[in-house]
Amino acid sequence: MNIRTVIVIGVTGTMGANIAGIFASFGNAKVYCVGRDIEKVKKMIPRIVKSVKADAICHNLIPADFSMLDSCVADSDLIFESSKEDLAVKAEIATRVGRFMKPTAVSGTGSSGLSITTIAECYPEKLRHRFFGIHMFNPPYTLPLCELSTTKYSDMGVKDELKQYLKTVLHRTVVEVKDSPAFLGNRIGFQLINEAAQYAENYKDNGGIDYIDALLGSFTGRTMAPLTTSDFVGLDVHKAIVDNIYANTFDYNHETFVLPEFIQKLVKDGKLGRKSGGGLYQRLSYENGLARQTVYDINTGLYRDVIPYVFPFADKMKRRIEEGDYQMAFERLVDNHSQEAEICLSFLLKYIIYSLYAAKEVGYDITAADDVMATGFNWCPPLAMYQALNTVADVPELIKTRLPEICQKVDVDHLLTDVKPSKYDYRIYFKSGRKIG
Amino acid sequence: MSKVYILGGAQTDFERNWTKEGKSMVALLKEAVVDGLTDAGLTFDDIKSLNRENRIACFVGNFIAEKYVDQGHLGAFLTEVNPAFYGVPSARYEAACASSSVAIDAAATKIRAEEYDVAIVVGWELMKTVESRVGGDYLGRAAYYDKEGRGIDLPFPKLFGKLADETLKKYPELDEKRYMDALAKICVLNYENAKRNPLAQTRKWFMSYEQASARNTETNPLVGGRLSVSDCSQVTDGAAVVVLCSDRYIDERGYKGKAIIKGYGHRTAPLLFDKKMADNEYSEYVLPWTRQAVLDAYKRAGLNVDDIDVFETHDCFTSSEYAAISAFGLTEPGKEYEAVEAGLIAFDGKKPINPSGGLIGCGHPVGASGARMLLDLNKQVTGTAGGYQIKGAKNVIMLNIGGSATTNYVFIVGAE
Repeated sequence: MNIRTVIVIGVTGTMGANIAGIFASFGNAKVYCVGRDIEKVKKMIPRIVKSVKADAICHNLIPADFSMLDSCVADSDLIFESSKEDLAVKAEIATRVGRFMKPTAVSGTGSSGLSITTIAECYPEKLRHRFFGIHMFNPPYTLPLCELSTTKYSDMGVKDELKQYLKTVLHRTVVEVKDSPAFLGNRIGFQLINEAAQYAENYKDNGGIDYIDALLGSFTGRTMAPLTTSDFVGLDVHKAIVDNIYANTFDYNHETFVLPEFIQKLVKDGKLGRKSGGGLYQRLSYENGLARQTVYDINTGLYRDVIPYVFPFADKMKRRIEEGDYQMAFERLVDNHSQEAEICLSFLLKYIIYSLYAAKEVGYDITAADDVMATGFNWCPPLAMYQALNTVADVPELIKTRLPEICQKVDVDHLLTDVKPSKYDYRIYFKSGRKIG
Repeated sequence: MSKVYILGGAQTDFERNWTKEGKSMVALLKEAVVDGLTDAGLTFDDIKSLNRENRIACFVGNFIAEKYVDQGHLGAFLTEVNPAFYGVPSARYEAACASSSVAIDAAATKIRAEEYDVAIVVGWELMKTVESRVGGDYLGRAAYYDKEGRGIDLPFPKLFGKLADETLKKYPELDEKRYMDALAKICVLNYENAKRNPLAQTRKWFMSYEQASARNTETNPLVGGRLSVSDCSQVTDGAAVVVLCSDRYIDERGYKGKAIIKGYGHRTAPLLFDKKMADNEYSEYVLPWTRQAVLDAYKRAGLNVDDIDVFETHDCFTSSEYAAISAFGLTEPGKEYEAVEAGLIAFDGKKPINPSGGLIGCGHPVGASGARMLLDLNKQVTGTAGGYQIKGAKNVIMLNIGGSATTNYVFIVGAE
């Protein structure tokens, strides 16, 4: 697939801007950067350049607004729509794109909140076969995951060519997924994140948000604790993802996608997380240069200082990880029966099971779950997590004894038959969170 | 005298930042050693039983852990990796960025002399413990620190920027634009090659000819004379382990098809950069002692440049890879650009340099780079380099330098 010219519609959004950077750099394509307000688009250009650290792509970036849309579309080999998650908006764009798109061009949407099939149907019939879901993660320069989804209209030959382009030219980790709400990465990731939020509510007397984050921190195979991640991506985004999954899917984890009330309230109050200066956490900076990290207390509805929790099991795990003794770290986790250790382990085991389940439902292969979690979230992927825990315990046995209620809801034995060695190294993902030296 | 075989080895993922992972030097050593031994087919029990007969030793290469992690006496640290190393002779070797090559040389010598049957070489450096300007100052100690490093912001880019100046001065017929263009192409080749290497630091990074040629921009600032960031390899954290053994050990185990070290060269040029340049007055080469180390290795191996299928060089900067092209004998001195322009050294060229991505592509954890190169040579000869395998590689060569091309180490590896 020879992609020389690309149009990115919706470039004033973070995702659209960063993806324009990927096309302009690795793809070395001429990229029409389209937004409603050309002045805003122009202001985005330096950010796009910075996102791939290359001034050399400057000449590839051409600012444009909607009045130029038709001619830009007509000139493009690939049309990428990254507008707001609103079907009316996307339908309007699809109609215009459909009118001017070259018959040889390919069109895609970055949507993860709407049905790709529904958007495809906004295109003229003769072009629907050239339309795909192309869902990347933020920031795409460091998170190479690209979820590629087809519809019943898709031409599989075109899909294969597009996949090849995304892989070899844009250096994406391409995972084919079904047109299912939120696709695979967010389905697995936000299941865990939202359940962590529910636990924060259930354990609000123990501290709530910071309590749960403290026992699912970077020592459990991720860069950022789950509720910190939610705060980072934005509570509105979190809400949109889980509401969509809750409304449009039904599986054994259905209830874990119910957004806790305290997040509803924060969203309503405009406290959306880091981007709005506060959400689950709030960083307070003072004129004298000092800063305080505070957290939303679910009980009081006020922000208070983050509690520096020390759980004996977690502390020992962190010390072991610091020294590279991973097995000993996992032994601490499995052998400790404090409430905190049990919650922590149950989350890791549930994550493995749900990944196996979701990979079957949304992906085409169990390795899909591994790829999305490693390259889209930077979390220890599920198969690697299985391998990690299996160094100290019989994981299927552990699941049966620790999660009897899950075993009643879903055929765990059947899911576990899909387990195979991961191509990812679990050691990279378990971090001590300790300061060295 | 025994032949020196390569049993196997491993490197860590050079993309990793061990400080961000909150992991110590011991964690780094544990991972690298365990992976290296596994690849070499050695168990900790094997080490214990070999050690009972005093047949095994360890050789640790590291430049300057005293600064980066406040630690010396590094040879002793393998005892922290596993009790199997209790009593195993082990010491640290140092020659700046060629530290692990000295360790390899010492290990190979002991094998050749039939003093030990198995030698474990561990090269490592943790560099992300400090911010880049502080680290740059530490690295100044690979030059004559008092005269070339102290108080100078990023001394090494400046020294290799001077190498670029001297190259242009030495070959007046060499057009500056042509030279700078060749350097940009060298950068791009290394980045492209690194995309095939799943353990390379820059495998996800973007680089293009346009970006590499657009020097003195916000994203590609000048760092040393005419050299920009794109002309530099980047510091990183990492370790590489290579296990060597004797022919007696090969016979005992019944191994077949293991690669051997066929020759080496080791020359030390004047330490001070200006003296180094004054010293090349009567040579056609800008780095005559680098060239001499290559010639020594060819002689010891009984081979010449025509016999070599793959080259791994020390591209700490594009200007050092440029000088290495003629030092290897791939072109006449002063005509290095020909090899770049003609695609001779490209991945699909006749004489590929750095299929791994080299220092620019892989990252340069200084004390690990020599061992990483030897590991890559072994992968090429044994056909285990995966995505960056050069088909049919029989004889391969590496050049690892310390300081401003002061310590020059060359090894040639090939099928027996």
